[in-house]
Amino acid sequence: MSEITQSAGIAPGGGRTLERLGLLVRSRSGLVGLILIVALSALSLLSAFGLLPYDPITQDPPSRLQPPSAEHWFGTDQFGRDVFSRVAAGVANSALISLVAVAFATVIGTLAGVIAGFYRGISDGVISGVTNVLFAFPPLLLALSLASVFERNWFTIAVAIAIVYVPIFIRVTRGPVLSLREIEYVKAATSTGQTRAMIMLRHVLPNITSIIIVQVTLSLSWAVLTEAALSFLGLGTPPPAPSLGSMIFEARTLVSIAPWTMIAPGVVIVLLVVGLNLLGDGLRDALDPRNRGRK
Amino acid sequence: MHEGNRARRVGLGAFSIAAAVALTITGCTASEPSASDDAGAAGGALVVGVTSDPDTLFPWKATQFQAVNVLQNIYGTLTEFDEELNVVPGLAESWEVSDDGLTVTFHLRNGVTYADGSTFGSEDVKYSLEAIQDEATAAVAATSLASVTAVDAPDENTVVLTLSAPDAALPANLAVVNLAILSSDDTEEALNTTPNGTGPFMFDERSASQSITLAKNESYWGEAAKLDTVEFRVIPDESSIVSAMQAGNVQLAVFDDPVVAQTAEGGNVTVESTPQLSYHVLQLNATRGDLQDVNVRLALQCAIDRQEVLDTAALGEGEVTGPITSPAYRSDPSSRPCPERDLDKAAEYLEKAGKSGGVTIKTIVSQGEYSTSVNEAQNLKAQAAEAGITLEIEVLESGAYVDRWIAADFDAAVALNGGRPDPDGMYGRYFTSTGNLNAVAGYSSPELDALFAEGKQSSDPDERKAIYEQVSDHLEDNAAWIWLFTSYTYTATAADVQGFTPMANGSLQYLRTTSVN
Amino acid sequence: MLRRILAAIATLLGVAVFVFIMLRAIPGDQITAGLGTEAAALTPDQRQALEAYYGLDQPLIVQFFSWLGNIFTGNLGFSSRAQESVLALTAQSLPVTLELAIFSIVLALALGIPLGMLSASKPDAPRDAFGQLVGLAGLSIPAFLLATTLLAVLASSFGFNPNGQGYAYFFDDPWLNLQQMLLPSLVLGFGIAAPIMRTTRTAVLEIRSNDFIRTAKAKGVPPRRLQAKHVLGNALVPIVTMTGLQFGYLLGGAVVVEQIFSLPGIGRQVLLGIQQKEYALVQSTVLIIALSFVIVNLLTDLLYRVIDPRVRAA
Repeated sequence: MSEITQSAGIAPGGGRTLERLGLLVRSRSGLVGLILIVALSALSLLSAFGLLPYDPITQDPPSRLQPPSAEHWFGTDQFGRDVFSRVAAGVANSALISLVAVAFATVIGTLAGVIAGFYRGISDGVISGVTNVLFAFPPLLLALSLASVFERNWFTIAVAIAIVYVPIFIRVTRGPVLSLREIEYVKAATSTGQTRAMIMLRHVLPNITSIIIVQVTLSLSWAVLTEAALSFLGLGTPPPAPSLGSMIFEARTLVSIAPWTMIAPGVVIVLLVVGLNLLGDGLRDALDPRNRGRK
Repeated sequence: MHEGNRARRVGLGAFSIAAAVALTITGCTASEPSASDDAGAAGGALVVGVTSDPDTLFPWKATQFQAVNVLQNIYGTLTEFDEELNVVPGLAESWEVSDDGLTVTFHLRNGVTYADGSTFGSEDVKYSLEAIQDEATAAVAATSLASVTAVDAPDENTVVLTLSAPDAALPANLAVVNLAILSSDDTEEALNTTPNGTGPFMFDERSASQSITLAKNESYWGEAAKLDTVEFRVIPDESSIVSAMQAGNVQLAVFDDPVVAQTAEGGNVTVESTPQLSYHVLQLNATRGDLQDVNVRLALQCAIDRQEVLDTAALGEGEVTGPITSPAYRSDPSSRPCPERDLDKAAEYLEKAGKSGGVTIKTIVSQGEYSTSVNEAQNLKAQAAEAGITLEIEVLESGAYVDRWIAADFDAAVALNGGRPDPDGMYGRYFTSTGNLNAVAGYSSPELDALFAEGKQSSDPDERKAIYEQVSDHLEDNAAWIWLFTSYTYTATAADVQGFTPMANGSLQYLRTTSVN
Repeated sequence: MLRRILAAIATLLGVAVFVFIMLRAIPGDQITAGLGTEAAALTPDQRQALEAYYGLDQPLIVQFFSWLGNIFTGNLGFSSRAQESVLALTAQSLPVTLELAIFSIVLALALGIPLGMLSASKPDAPRDAFGQLVGLAGLSIPAFLLATTLLAVLASSFGFNPNGQGYAYFFDDPWLNLQQMLLPSLVLGFGIAAPIMRTTRTAVLEIRSNDFIRTAKAKGVPPRRLQAKHVLGNALVPIVTMTGLQFGYLLGGAVVVEQIFSLPGIGRQVLLGIQQKEYALVQSTVLIIALSFVIVNLLTDLLYRVIDPRVRAA
């Protein structure tokens, strides 16, 4: 929290973005993460634009369980579907769900956190109470129950995951906002008659963006894993649409006779999460004001 | 007992499943399955790998597969099925039907005791059947006794059922564990924790959601079980069951998924596939929307290639089927307006219905209940689309699916329905206008009502076969539903397991003849 | 402290309301969960009898308060599936998960702390890269992927699968129990080692740059003692926080691993309860998990006061 107070005086302007990007690229982990994410995004874009070698859903029983070959780079699964195409579509699916989930969680969580921290009073009591309740709830079980409430599709899964991650965003924003509130120039702005909403927009939000950005990348990697775990328990993306988790789930029975069905989605999900983690690390280093002076 | 009752005595014919109403079978050896090879005196302890715990131990309320399988080995029923699903004597040694078909007299087996040592007798049968009929009991098979108006126990070894109308399906209906004969001294509460039956095994111990163990019933009335104990061990993940079999911890498991079965095979594990009575079907609700028109339903029938559904969704592991799946009454799958896929005919039917522009059918499908459901739906949708019929697929959680299914809140439903050995038991409740599932079936007709009534009255096997052939044809001609295929179960056994016979209804009753060396 | 306890009680009450509402929002009830589509064949009278049997005939508000009231008398409800009280079931399942959680945490600490210190001992050197890589792997490899792969490979290639035998409680068969705990706690421990390693590394680096360590160095405190006493001692606070957090998370988060390794833990109890719509079972179990979580948090706080010199002074 102390670093926030220090940095609170420096209002980050848009002109710094390039400098930050430079810092990100200069940090080794950030660069590797960026490359991984760009590569996997390209893979998922293939699927979005229909550029995959095979349809990831259409079944072709005669060519089932073929090992990797020139025709099928990652082999085929038990229904003769091309594993490469399914992995690519699976990345797209996982990414979509995680992005939407984290976007929801970020917007709602940040808003709630800022309101609670800035206005205090009843709103803080209610918001913090809800946060505590959600935190005390086992996250996977929460997602699991939520996922069984609604008719299942990618969007409802995203919402279920979002609800699990909202309290994290509330917690990471509320604290810093609380201390910002006491900073002299915010107080000064209040006394010069600026409305609270304007103060929040001008002075508070810009100061917590870096915390939020780092939290977003980390949450993305957790969301990918949560979606996969849900799929693994049979409550994720409904088949036949592929998701990395459900592919691994289906492949677990095949691992001894067709290991490629497990290896391809397994490696890709690890790379995706590694990429997001590294990117998060890199961003943290790049955005941390204390690192600005360092190499 | 009715005056002038003359029971006919007929030998056990090849196709005798439901005909048994008119049959009297004597001698307890008749129920000994041919599978009882004498592999020696070996007993041993068998471990069966299962994915879930029984959800109840009370036989009258058990519908979950796992619960039925466990309880079937503990409890006895008046009649039983043999491995070909013929009705054979159980706790009733023999039975006879009066000429007017309104009185059935059961002669009970002597010297049968319950696991707790109490003696089995006619008062237990009277108590059980009457309690099952009582709606406050909420027994799931109460309707199997719908035709029974009175249960009398004139003496210790005789039970007389008075019927409101002849019921040829009754003996087959009595053979399921939901009609188990409980001791009149027992209560549901007591049996929930300590089952007490007359079957070849006795309840030994249970550790909730972990395992349930049965021990040999030494005083069983038939040939005693070979195994000393059977443990049903809960291993929630199917692939973990495979791992446990490979490591030698589990000796027997039944899988539905051909792929899982394939991975289990090898080493010292062999896998046997058994065709099942249950059938995959696209249920249509002929009371709703465009499906009210028989031509629309027929168009859909013509648009679907059953073999293609089977090949893509279930790897071709199964057989295309008509309505009736039990071996003795099996429908000829090609006896329908469109035995093969015929898009021209489908277009014709649509034109007749005035729907050449196409129709949209809201279809529900459950996810998680069985592995092929969503793949079936996808293939059906793809095929129907080529005929201008849009299946709007709604994938539902099993709880939501069941809610919608029960409320008949769908145009069409992709379903896997259980089959029964007797066609009346199987479809009477769906396709007669008074059947308790008729709302869900969405179709009935005076012709069908008449045919089902006839089938219940007839006691002649050949006559019944002819009647149910007409039922089957009527259902297909009117495309009441689109029957697709039946699949297999896969019984994986370790090399040291002998004498087990899988059955078409999925029953594990032949654990009694199984041994482990 | 009193305020914190009051807040904890309010939180638990919130959890109770939340889980109660959410469960009823899931389609289906215990009757349809048990009977499946056969429930369509029930007559209205039969349905009524079953609703009375499962206590579903009461208005929701009555259901809630009778459940909550019973809890205060120590009656957590009854599972008709297991035919045991929820208290008895939890008394069996909670120790399984606690044991698993403790083993996992111990393994994670044993792996994470040394690795973190190794990394921090020379930033950007190969050993740091190694430590970071292991940590990254722990963060990124999904537990279920590691678990299924381990189980399948060990069982099919070596015939090693202690989890295929029935679960052995520690006091019944300690040797088998430990074998059965080995793989699952390795899988979970590996995952938790990652945040612990990172926390250790960051904390050590941060403290090292602090003034008082520089002073101690200048005063000639031997490096080894410096490392052990000052650096680790001060890094303990964030490590304890992280450990408490992870421990609390494990109580409900081990469900996937419990499922794969057939461990009858508390996560599986909830999962089964949700599938079977055993409302009282799920409500009470979730409440117990939440209570454990709250207690772990309080204990972590207390531990702070003991180990953190600054908090002690305050």
